[in-house]
Amino acid sequence: MDIFPALLSVISDPMLLAAILLAAVVGMIVGAIPGLTASAAIAMLLPITFYMDPLFALAFLYVIGKSGRYGGSIAAILFNTPGTAASAATQLDGYPLAKSGKAGKAMKVATISSVIGDFMGDIMLVVGVGFIAALALKLGPPETFAIYFAAFVVIGSVIGKSILKGLASAFIGILVAMVGLDPISSQERYTFGSFDLSNGIGLVPLMIGVFVLGEVFAQLEERKKAKNAEIEVNDQAGDDNTLTWDEYKPCLPHALRGGVIGAFIGVLPGLGSAIAAFISYGEGKRRATNPEKWGKGALEGVAAPEAANNAVSGPSMAPLLTLGIPGSTIGAILLGVFLIHGIQVGPTLFLTDKELVYRLFACGMLGILAYGLIGYFGATQVARIILKIPTNVLYPMIFLTSFVAAYSARGSMFDVTVMTVAGFVGWLMRKYDFNIAAFVISFVLAKGAEETFRQSMLMSDGGALVFIERPIAALFLAIGLAAMAFRIRTILHEQKIAQGGLGDA
Amino acid sequence: MRALSEGVVLFALGLFAIIGVWNVPAAADNETWAGIVPFGAGLGLLIIAAFMILGALRSPTSNDKSQSAENNAVLEILALFAIALLYQHSIRWFGYVLPTAITAPVVLYMFGVRSKIGLAVSVVLCPLIYHIIFFELLGVFPPFGEVFDLLDAIQG
Repeated sequence: MDIFPALLSVISDPMLLAAILLAAVVGMIVGAIPGLTASAAIAMLLPITFYMDPLFALAFLYVIGKSGRYGGSIAAILFNTPGTAASAATQLDGYPLAKSGKAGKAMKVATISSVIGDFMGDIMLVVGVGFIAALALKLGPPETFAIYFAAFVVIGSVIGKSILKGLASAFIGILVAMVGLDPISSQERYTFGSFDLSNGIGLVPLMIGVFVLGEVFAQLEERKKAKNAEIEVNDQAGDDNTLTWDEYKPCLPHALRGGVIGAFIGVLPGLGSAIAAFISYGEGKRRATNPEKWGKGALEGVAAPEAANNAVSGPSMAPLLTLGIPGSTIGAILLGVFLIHGIQVGPTLFLTDKELVYRLFACGMLGILAYGLIGYFGATQVARIILKIPTNVLYPMIFLTSFVAAYSARGSMFDVTVMTVAGFVGWLMRKYDFNIAAFVISFVLAKGAEETFRQSMLMSDGGALVFIERPIAALFLAIGLAAMAFRIRTILHEQKIAQGGLGDA
Repeated sequence: MRALSEGVVLFALGLFAIIGVWNVPAAADNETWAGIVPFGAGLGLLIIAAFMILGALRSPTSNDKSQSAENNAVLEILALFAIALLYQHSIRWFGYVLPTAITAPVVLYMFGVRSKIGLAVSVVLCPLIYHIIFFELLGVFPPFGEVFDLLDAIQG
């Protein structure tokens, strides 16, 4: 019940409300611009939040993340270009609806379903997070390491096209995190005598490089490849853009089911909203009374993926706040905000900063309300604003911003160098289908995993059996290995079906 | 060919990681070796690279006809990366204002802006806006140019 006083406290703070509203608009616009993601916007704005109050900073970026997930549906429905990977499922029915003059109706279904899914996820988060934190307090280093291990394996193997490339991305993330002084023995690792490297690679410049500068490189490449391609827009008023209860009624079960699917997937580290959206779409179509209409312009086909996509947002914060394990790239960046403001995430967070956590949840809920209202009444206007943004000016501006943002983090030119190199590496990883999410999340997790691993080894006098002898640790190791085995099986099955294809690569 | 190159690069990275961790001194009593995790990650990378190389050698080579079309885009990316490296290094030499004034129109041009007035305006507006937002409003201390700093000259 800590959420109610938190909600009252946030509502009575006009500055915080203004920040939530601004974040809802910014997130929506960023999410709707094809190619620009909420992760990129959050990474770019991260240094600005150094100068803000922790709650103000966290709420601003958290709501951008939430609103950005929803914003992807605007591009998917109106531009036939998914603004985010998750909104590709929304595009399947959203764009045919827009083409048949029902753009406004589709947007309203997407908005209501997003709000339902997001609220369901947040309610599950608020109810469950304290319970998970209480459990997490009882875990020892072997159990915590086993959870880290499961997270590495799931993130590396389950998402992305190739298990090998996903795991390689995770290993590279771990290696980059190892640069600098060992936190336990203070021995230098991969510093090559450089003072700058002995301080390690900063999270903020790495994030800005990979998500922001890397995206600028990718956009330049896209522009060269598709010089003549133009975005097709279907934002015409059409014959009927009002949404009646009778029209939304069949969508409601799909939205509720999507909310449950998204909330469940959100708790699992690394899976993310794209997987949730497609699972919800598939499940919705399987259970639909009109499956033949799905893919051709069914309102239910918009409701199911949109609810799941947004329901991921809240629960993905649970592993971050209770165990320090970010469930998504946005979570990884938010972890940086917590650390910058001197707040240690993990089970003790609910003992030291409980009020802040619940006020953050309250801000998230108000953020949902904000983007819901703006989206319901003005999604097509937002789309018109986006069309007026000249991308040939936008991306050079983002390019310049990434440098000054990376510098502002610590006032260090070395960070700018790190950001530049990370940007190029990020583009290379995108180009060669490596897994950026696995790279970044592993980078964030590596130090915690190393600490718990070495503590476990000390506890057991160097015996690795400690991870198998303790049942919870063994369970999480098994979950990780089972996830990988399941993924390998799926890929082999797909290869058998499409013999002669490129397979896993 | 591409899969083979990817495997070889990953193998080299793994090897580099293992050789790099070799310099980490042995653990003292009641401690664990500081190199154990990077060594494990390097080893993991080597194993993955070996799988990728083996997989690439087994699968038939394919001729990618779209390769030449991609080369132009890659050249532009490399050019932008070179500009990025030069820009960040020139900030160390000449401070923030001058390199930004030069880089802004170049990058705008690369992204297709051809308006001479627009490019000229960017020379003044970009450094000015970023300077005001970050170094005046947010209070970040601007990077000082080791060789020459235009901001220093303007402010006297």
